[in-house]
Amino acid sequence: MNLEKVIFGFFIILALTLNVGFVMGEISNPGHHSVWLLFFALLVSMVTTLLKIGDRSQIGAIFLSASLVANLQLIIATTTWAVGEGGMTTPPSQEQMVTIISLASGALVANIVSVLMLVADTLMARR
Amino acid sequence: MPATSELDRVTAVVLQYMRTPFLVLLATYALGITGMSLMPGVNDSSMNLFHSFYFFTFTATTTGFGEVPAEFSEPQRLWAAVCIYTGVVAWLYAIGSFIRLVQHPQLVTAVSERRFARQVRAITQPFVVICGFGDTGSLLARGLSDNYRKAAVIDINEERIKALKLRDYRVKMYGLCGDASVPKHLLDAGITRENCQGLVALTRSDETNLKIAVMARSLNPRLKIICRSTCNQTREYMEAVGGVEVVDPYAVFSRQMCTAIFNPPLFSWMQRLIGALDFNLEVCVSPPVGKWILCGFGRMGRALRDALAERGIPTVIVDPGAESIDPDLPVVIGRADTRALDEAGIGEAVGVVAGTDSDEDNLGILLSARKLKVDVFLVVRQNHHENELAFSAVNANLIMQPSLVTARQILQMLTVPTILNLRRYLRDEGAEEVPRLVARTQGILGREKIHLWIESLDGSDCAVRAMTEKGIAPTLGDIQRTPMERTRRLKVLALVLRRGEALIMLPEDDTKLHLGDEILFCGTVPDHRLLSANLHNEYTLYYIHRGVDEPRTLFAAWLGRQTFLKSD
Repeated sequence: MNLEKVIFGFFIILALTLNVGFVMGEISNPGHHSVWLLFFALLVSMVTTLLKIGDRSQIGAIFLSASLVANLQLIIATTTWAVGEGGMTTPPSQEQMVTIISLASGALVANIVSVLMLVADTLMARR
Repeated sequence: MPATSELDRVTAVVLQYMRTPFLVLLATYALGITGMSLMPGVNDSSMNLFHSFYFFTFTATTTGFGEVPAEFSEPQRLWAAVCIYTGVVAWLYAIGSFIRLVQHPQLVTAVSERRFARQVRAITQPFVVICGFGDTGSLLARGLSDNYRKAAVIDINEERIKALKLRDYRVKMYGLCGDASVPKHLLDAGITRENCQGLVALTRSDETNLKIAVMARSLNPRLKIICRSTCNQTREYMEAVGGVEVVDPYAVFSRQMCTAIFNPPLFSWMQRLIGALDFNLEVCVSPPVGKWILCGFGRMGRALRDALAERGIPTVIVDPGAESIDPDLPVVIGRADTRALDEAGIGEAVGVVAGTDSDEDNLGILLSARKLKVDVFLVVRQNHHENELAFSAVNANLIMQPSLVTARQILQMLTVPTILNLRRYLRDEGAEEVPRLVARTQGILGREKIHLWIESLDGSDCAVRAMTEKGIAPTLGDIQRTPMERTRRLKVLALVLRRGEALIMLPEDDTKLHLGDEILFCGTVPDHRLLSANLHNEYTLYYIHRGVDEPRTLFAAWLGRQTFLKSD
C-alpha cells in the first residue's frame, strides 16, 4: 500500500460520489439538489485535476483530460446557478435547474471515466 | 516527364475513339433540332429551338415523354419519326464506341499504372518492391505480410497480379502488371521514395534481374537491391553494379548442409528460429560424414560439390551430360537409375542428393536409392511448390525447395539483417558458443512458437530516452522481465545488439542499453508485445529497473520528498 495511491484514489472517487449526490433527484425540482453539494463537487474535482498534473504516460493524459472536462461542466453549472434569475438567494427556476443538472450529469460521466481508468490502471499492473 | 507522356497517350486514345461518335451525335442533333423547329405545328405555330432541343433529347435517348409541350401536327409527327430513328442509332453508335474505348488495352494499362503509382505514393510506412511474383515472390510477400510490411509487386504475367489481389494478406499489397526492367515501372513502384526499404528482383531469368538491378541502381544510388541469381557470371556482373546483394539459393543451401553435417546443433537451432517446428532441438537432423552421391550436376550439384570438397568430403557425381564436367572428378555418366547408383557405389555411400531440376527424376532417384540402401541419408530438391504432397510422402531426410530457401533468406535480409551476421559468427569464430546458446534457447523458450524481430531504441516515445535523461541506464535484462512480476523473465532471448557500426553477438543480460541501439530478439508473440510495452512506458521500465514505482505526478513527487513520512 502506498500513501500516494491512497490520496489519489480518495479524491478521484470522492469527486464521483459528490457528483452523484448532487445529480440524484427529480431533474427540475430545485428542492432535490443542494447548492452545497455542487460547490464541493467542483472543489474536489479541481483538487483531482491538480493531483493528476505531471504524469507523462498515455493513461495520464486521458486522466487529466477527463478531469478537465468535469471541471468545465461543473464550472458552467455553478455559474448558471449563481448568475441565474434568483441569484444565490432564491432557488433557480425549473428551466434553469434542468440546465444545471444536465451539465452536472455530463461531469458525472467524465468522473465515471476517471474512476474506471483508475481501476483499469490498477488491475493492469497486477501487483 | 513520364506523367505527361502517359496523359498524352490517354488523350490520343480517347480522341481516336470518340471523335467520330461525337461528330455523328452533333450532326444528328443539329439536323433533328433544326428540322423540328421548321415543321409547322397545330395552328401554324412551330416549336422554338429550346422546345425542339428538349424534345430531341428525350427522344434520342429513348426516354419518350410523348408529345410535349403541345400536341403535334402531322408534319411534326413525320419529323419526330425521323428524329427517333437517327437519334437512337447515333446514340447506340456513341455508346458502343465508348464501351470499346474503356476496354482498350492501352487505356486499361494506363489507368492501372496510374492507380498503382498513386497507391504506392500513399504508403507512409516502410515498404519493399518485389519484381517477379512467382513461387519465391509469393512466399516472400506472405512473409512480409506476416511482419506487417507492405510491398509493391511488379510481374509481367497478368494472372499472377490477379492472384496477388485475391490473397488474404494482413496488410495491403499493390500489384502492377508490366515489365519490371522498364524504369517508368520501377519509378511507379516507388524505388526513389524515402520509405522504400529495398528492391528484390526475383524474375525467372538472371538476365532480367540484372537489368532491373542496373536500372534501379542508376535511378537511386542509395537503394538496397537484392537479386536472385544462380549463375556465377551474372553474380559477378551484379556485384560490379555496386551494392547489389545476390542471393543464390544453392549456395545458401550448400552452406546449410555443411552446417548440418559439421555442426548439427547449430543447424537445428537455426531451423528452430525460422519457425520449422518439426525441428526439435533435442533430436538433431545430422547428415553423416562420409561419401556422398550427387545426382544431377547442375547449379545445385556444383554448389554442393564445391562446398563439400572444401570440407574434405568425397563426392561421386551421377549426371547424363558429361561434357560440362571436369574430367578429374569421379563421375558416373547416365541417368540416375538403380544401375547408375550402384555403379557410383551406393553401398559405401552415406548420403544421396537428388538435385536435378526435374521433380519426377528427383522422386525417382529417391525411391531407387531407398530400395538399394535403406539407411542412406536422402536430400532432395523440390522445384515446384505444387508437388509438396508427393515430396512429403516419400520421407526424405531433408527437402530443399529453392524458392523457400531464397524467400527466407531475403526476408531475413529485409526484416532482421543482423541474423545473417550472427549465423556467420556462430559458424566460424563463435562455434564454441553454440552448445550454451542451444541450452539457453531450450531453457527460456522451450517448445513455444517463436519469431524474430528487431527492437530499435530510438523514437521520441522510447522509454530508454526518458531513463537516460534521468541518468539511469537500464540493462538488457530489465526489459526482458515482466512488469507484473519483476523476477519473472519474459520468453524472449536477445541475439544481436547493434550499436552504431559495432555488433555485439549474444549480449549478456547485464549489458547497459544506449539510445539508438538495435537489438535482434527471438521470442513468443505475446512476450514480444510485453517487451515493446516495457520499452514504451518509462514508468513501467523504471519499476522493473528499481522495483519501486516512480512518483508519476507532481503531487506524488512532492509527497515523496516529505521527510516526515519516512519511517527511518
